[in-house]
Amino acid sequence: MPLWTLRGLRRGVVTTRYPARPDPSAVLLPTPPVFRPDALTSDLADRLVAVCPSRALGRDGDVLVFDVGACTACGRCRAEAPQAAEDSGEFELAATAREHLIKRIALDGSPR
Amino acid sequence: MTSQSATGLNVPATSEELRRTVARMFGRSLHIRTLDTGSCASCEQEIRLLAAPHYDLHRLGFFFTPAPRHADLLMVTGPMVRAFETAARKTYDAMPDPKVVVATGACALGGVYQPDPFTHGGVGGTFPVDVWIPGCPPSPLALLQGLLVAVGRLADQVKDLDFALNRTPR
Repeated sequence: MPLWTLRGLRRGVVTTRYPARPDPSAVLLPTPPVFRPDALTSDLADRLVAVCPSRALGRDGDVLVFDVGACTACGRCRAEAPQAAEDSGEFELAATAREHLIKRIALDGSPR
Repeated sequence: MTSQSATGLNVPATSEELRRTVARMFGRSLHIRTLDTGSCASCEQEIRLLAAPHYDLHRLGFFFTPAPRHADLLMVTGPMVRAFETAARKTYDAMPDPKVVVATGACALGGVYQPDPFTHGGVGGTFPVDVWIPGCPPSPLALLQGLLVAVGRLADQVKDLDFALNRTPR
């Protein structure tokens, strides 16, 4: 019998909370990139869009559109432009609306 | 606002109301039916690991069931191949109300495959999806967080992230 059954009977609490402390293995997970808008030129953004295999990156004028939901964390954008993209370390990315996963990143030199 | 279902139970109409109902009804116990709509099985491997001792899904009050009629939550993986769509709809229809749909992995979220004669390229067109879990595949930790977001025990935190560093103030 799993231990939590006994604990639950004793305490009257049948379920427990989400991991109380961060999981040590979490740092090893592949995670979507974060981008440095200051290092993102228009040409570089086009190269990143071309190198993305899962249509997670797109251009909308002076904005790089990053669809976190489509990202497979393959690391090709980080390999293409290490100065402009790095690991985010974020893996708890569940969203209650699809739009929450679409991020718009203004390029360097775009009108403020 | 609630509508009267065929069984005479009040069924929540809006997704926000559904979320509150789910938190009240399922916050402590919930049965999950997984549905593979053409995934590469990486997502299934990670979902399988949720029940392993390290992640121990059951301590959080979640259980897997093979029967859609016993399930409260439908965990959908894969890009929804067209050949499977009828079976997927039947699974969804067989589940009792209220029910929650969780789209799992980049394929299900529409990232990897484009719509073509073989696949819809995502599950969003087939079901009303309540929670989207990105990742290729999402790790068991990400799945756990997604399930807890689905039952309202954790907040959707990705909406506040902008995925940009050193943003110049405007």
